[in-house]
Amino acid sequence: MNAMNLPHEQTRRYFLSRCGVGMGTMALSHLLAREDALTPRKTHFPARAKSVIFLFMAGGPSQLDMFVRKPELQKHDGRPIPESFTKGKRFAFMDSSHRNDLLASRFSFHQHGHSGAWVNDLLPHTASIVDELTFVHTCKTDLFNHAPAKFFMNTGSGIFGRPSMGAWITYGLGSECDNLPGFVVLQSGPRGPRGGAVLWSSGVLPTSYQGVPLRNSGDPIVNLSSPQGIDAAEQRRVVDAVRALNTQRLTNTGDAEITTRINAYEMAFRMQTSAPELMDLSGESRATLELYGIRDARETTFARNCLLARRLVERGVRFVQLYDTNWDHHGGPTENLEKHLPLKCTDIDRPCAALVKDLKSRGLLDDTIVVWGGEFGRTPMGEVRESTGRNHHIDAFTMWFAGGGFKPGTHYGETDEFGFGAVENPVHVHDIHATLLNQLGLDHQKLSVRSQGLDFRLTGVDPAKVVRGLLA
Amino acid sequence: MSRAFALCLGLAASHAASAAAPGLGGARIEFNRDVRPILSENCFACHGFDPKHREGGLRLDTFEGATEDRDGARGIIPGNPDKSDVWQRVISDDEDEMMPPQKSHKPRLDARQRNILKAWIEQGAHYQRHWSFEPLKREQVPVIPGVSHPIDRFIQKRLMEEKMVPSPAAEASTLIRRVSLDLTGLPPTPSEVDAFVDASAKGAEAAYGALVDRLLTSPHYGERWGRWWLDQARYADSNGYSIDAPRQIWKFRDWVVTALNADMPFDQFTIEQLAGDLLPKATQSQIIATGFHRNTQINQEGGIDKEQYRIDSIFDRVATTGSVWLGLSIGCAQCHDHKFDPIEQKEYYRLFAFFNNQEEPEMKVFDSSVDVKALTAEFNDIEKKLAALIKQRQAEVSDWEKETTAAFRAKLPAAVKKALRIPLAKRTLADHIAVFNVFTQPSDPLRILNDRHRELDALLHKGVTTMVLKELAKPRKTTVLIKGDFTRPADEVTPGTPAVLHALAAPSGRLPNRLDLAKWIVSPQNPLTARVIVNRVWQQYFGRGIVETENDFGSQGTLPSHPELLDWLASEFLAQKWSLKALHRLIVTSHTYRQSSVSRLDDAKRDPNNYLLARQSRLRLDAEIVRDVCLAASGLLSQKVGGPPVFPPIPDGVMSQGQVKRVWTVSKGADKYRRGLYTFVYRASPPPELTVFDAPEGFNSCTRRIRSNTPLQALTMLNDAGFFELAATLEKTIQKDGVAAAFKRCTARPPAPAELAILNGLDTLSAARALLNLDETITRE
Repeated sequence: MNAMNLPHEQTRRYFLSRCGVGMGTMALSHLLAREDALTPRKTHFPARAKSVIFLFMAGGPSQLDMFVRKPELQKHDGRPIPESFTKGKRFAFMDSSHRNDLLASRFSFHQHGHSGAWVNDLLPHTASIVDELTFVHTCKTDLFNHAPAKFFMNTGSGIFGRPSMGAWITYGLGSECDNLPGFVVLQSGPRGPRGGAVLWSSGVLPTSYQGVPLRNSGDPIVNLSSPQGIDAAEQRRVVDAVRALNTQRLTNTGDAEITTRINAYEMAFRMQTSAPELMDLSGESRATLELYGIRDARETTFARNCLLARRLVERGVRFVQLYDTNWDHHGGPTENLEKHLPLKCTDIDRPCAALVKDLKSRGLLDDTIVVWGGEFGRTPMGEVRESTGRNHHIDAFTMWFAGGGFKPGTHYGETDEFGFGAVENPVHVHDIHATLLNQLGLDHQKLSVRSQGLDFRLTGVDPAKVVRGLLA
Repeated sequence: MSRAFALCLGLAASHAASAAAPGLGGARIEFNRDVRPILSENCFACHGFDPKHREGGLRLDTFEGATEDRDGARGIIPGNPDKSDVWQRVISDDEDEMMPPQKSHKPRLDARQRNILKAWIEQGAHYQRHWSFEPLKREQVPVIPGVSHPIDRFIQKRLMEEKMVPSPAAEASTLIRRVSLDLTGLPPTPSEVDAFVDASAKGAEAAYGALVDRLLTSPHYGERWGRWWLDQARYADSNGYSIDAPRQIWKFRDWVVTALNADMPFDQFTIEQLAGDLLPKATQSQIIATGFHRNTQINQEGGIDKEQYRIDSIFDRVATTGSVWLGLSIGCAQCHDHKFDPIEQKEYYRLFAFFNNQEEPEMKVFDSSVDVKALTAEFNDIEKKLAALIKQRQAEVSDWEKETTAAFRAKLPAAVKKALRIPLAKRTLADHIAVFNVFTQPSDPLRILNDRHRELDALLHKGVTTMVLKELAKPRKTTVLIKGDFTRPADEVTPGTPAVLHALAAPSGRLPNRLDLAKWIVSPQNPLTARVIVNRVWQQYFGRGIVETENDFGSQGTLPSHPELLDWLASEFLAQKWSLKALHRLIVTSHTYRQSSVSRLDDAKRDPNNYLLARQSRLRLDAEIVRDVCLAASGLLSQKVGGPPVFPPIPDGVMSQGQVKRVWTVSKGADKYRRGLYTFVYRASPPPELTVFDAPEGFNSCTRRIRSNTPLQALTMLNDAGFFELAATLEKTIQKDGVAAAFKRCTARPPAPAELAILNGLDTLSAARALLNLDETITRE
């Protein structure tokens, strides 16, 4: 953050001129020791990747209709799943629509690429990049209701008030961008994700690490625009005056916190230019827009957010999280497998593939981890509602990863004949967290913060492991 | 803000220890001060209280365990480090032998730690109970020539030991702004500043004493300290989780403000909130107080198991009770015996049992002037009279009905048409009234009686509601839950308190209940509560508690920087019958509080983080007060105290962050300019202007706010439409009275010539904006 050392300079001059060299040097070293919250920091060991883009399919995408083909499931359509699978298990909607009859997928699947990954025919673009992807079919989480499960995927805990992954990573690594936040959130779909702002909270960490939503209407960042009728020159004059007055106060009080505030105002002013510039896609080529499937750059689609995600990591932003909502295909009138899953697949297919290709062609994929998944998956059993759908499922679901040292063209983890549970290589959410941190050069056991007498970690207290089998 | 948050706790611990035990040559080692922090940080996780995670059968948290003969090996042989396993393992360089082991990721003990450990074993390895479990020890106040205030004597004794001196008193204008913000959360008006500066010149002590008295009787005192308590109570105005529907519980907020303004003794304040409903002849106000533990979230998502989330809310109540009143992280024992503090899992569930026997109803709340009993009697009486009158006048009704034409009837209101279709004998009271209202005059006795009936109905049945606790007649069964999983019940337990603390006064003939628990918490024998509360009040004044880990007085917490002062303050709090106002007066009248906050080069090196309080600290104001101060400076602030939450303007799009887009209709008139305390807070989409300055969102108890310092705060202050409106209003002051007057409204001091020159170089609007954006404006100096 080179642009930020001006106030230090001024303070230094003050101490040197007024206090004599010896004492001045001492005070200066004290002031300089207070680095900014987002100053890039040393990793625990050499990092394999620098940033993360997490494509979060909010609601729980159906792995059995997208990436997992189970001939036995097709064969036993409508028949009850053997009790040995479900004994002692709890599900959502136990008292209403939950059922134990298996539901065959209504979609056709084909194998693709050298890796032979199965992909349903609704995802032709994703099918074209399977050799870049690392599929994990045995992801496992602890909680089966949306909001708690979303917290779990994001914070490693179903309890409120814990820092989210993006906050942890920005806390651990700082940010390489000095004119945008280190952790940015983008949203698409008909509504906000369940859980709201808690999903990108900094929890017990300082708010400097909180995710900043880039909004779809109004200012991209809350209060980004100068007040109505105030032009950039006038804004600059105010910021300059504030800096001059704050600097005087700094010399009178010696409180280094004022230095931080001066820097914060400088970054805020830079953000006023850099954030609109980020959002302005007019400089992107027609070919790029077509690659992502963006017809109207002003439309707030998942496609546009994918392109913004690339622009963000290009600018050094550490963690970008995209929420796309309406993946909760229970079979109700507005969220079912017949009609809405195909629509959602169309929404995300081309942009996901475009993001991976675009990152790769720009040499960014090596340094960037792309993660695709939701808070959980969906049951092999169908639900009884107006149309076809599946219930929430936590025992085995699919996520995919690309770039950042993940092993391309791989699928990891075996599930049973119906895709209910893992029979080989289960991967718990905490293992996913540990693996992501590992690629970023962070040891999940060391990345901790002390609060309430405890060392909090993203991966919690139960043992978590880096899943080496996913890594190149 | 730097990473100070993460790092300073560790520094605090080592600082306290190192400052207390400098050169070790023959110095007496004290277990609690010197040794326990080392063992707790490095050893207890595997050699502590919790038998399930104990390695090699060795426990180091008791003398008996540490010296036990285990097949010839002994962890510690008092007086003989060379033969003590612990010492040998600590100094070993053999990877299989060394302690702490490599897999723990803990660094080796440094030279200072090793010296302490060795000297302690040499001196006989004397153990002490953890300091905070020992009874309060009221020591003699040290004598310092020329210093009379007890707090100053404790603080300056320590400074003298370090060859440091306190700072001079803050300037009068700084002091009045500081103490006004600390006691009421509002800045002084320019005329209050002038009057105080004049009075101080004549007699500083008398002027200051009068000022403190005035502030402590201000109704805004309860607002400022009410927010302090509401943070701990995890208060917010919605249900949380994904649906996050609004809830009505602001009567609890008003209860807190009123109780603090009345200086309700803290023991009573505690009892009413934890168990007001169980008090004999509980008043409405005492039942409202039980809203404290209704500030937990409610999950309204589809497909949930309600019992799971009921249990979760009880976990929260136990954890909150533990951290707020006892300063203990009791929640750790939810899944297993506490690793560091002597609390067994079973004891956790005995505490849990106190909170497992409630219904969670909403209570109608009536204005305190409403005499519910008398009015209910009147209401019932009127109902009878009405019924009798209607019966008497039935002939009138039938006559009228015969006279009415179909065309006339067709034009009548729906309710009347419906009533007329029902045979006379089968009509309800409401039906009859509807009909009477059509053909009688407003002066008709029946109409008059009915008006009163309607008024009483509203007064008695349609009031505000608030969420409260109500004890179940038949207690629920409570069991230990394996790993905290509500589907895995184990042994049944009855309500009880942890054995490490004082005994619970057991009632005869029944199981103990919440009221017994509340009384146990405020028992004079409880070594924790007074210390914890005094410390948390102290923290507000100095930015840090005497115990820095304000919610952990257990063995993982930091040691007090001034243990004698902490105990003296706690015992004084009890001696003053738990009066918070007396405690505030005691602290703010000390020189330690009144001294300047300007950094001094001479102690910046010795004590850069100001643990020893050779100066005051500059503290950024709390989120709500940041805006309150700007409201006050602009002159728009509404001084109204209490009432339903308000909806000041917020940026577009904020309410669509969560699953359900909530309505936010901006309040009108003076309600737009109420104090931040009254802003409606949706947990899932809280007002950004508050959260950006670290206001808690009410998910769990917050016993200390973080003070971050970020670009988003700058954007809020510079650009938010609400703040801009305040700047535009402040501009009028500049136009009328000059920029110096506006400067004083923001900072309580006149500008220096250089500052004035900068501001005079701007147009009036820019100058007003710059003033509201000053670090000094949002900082208590």
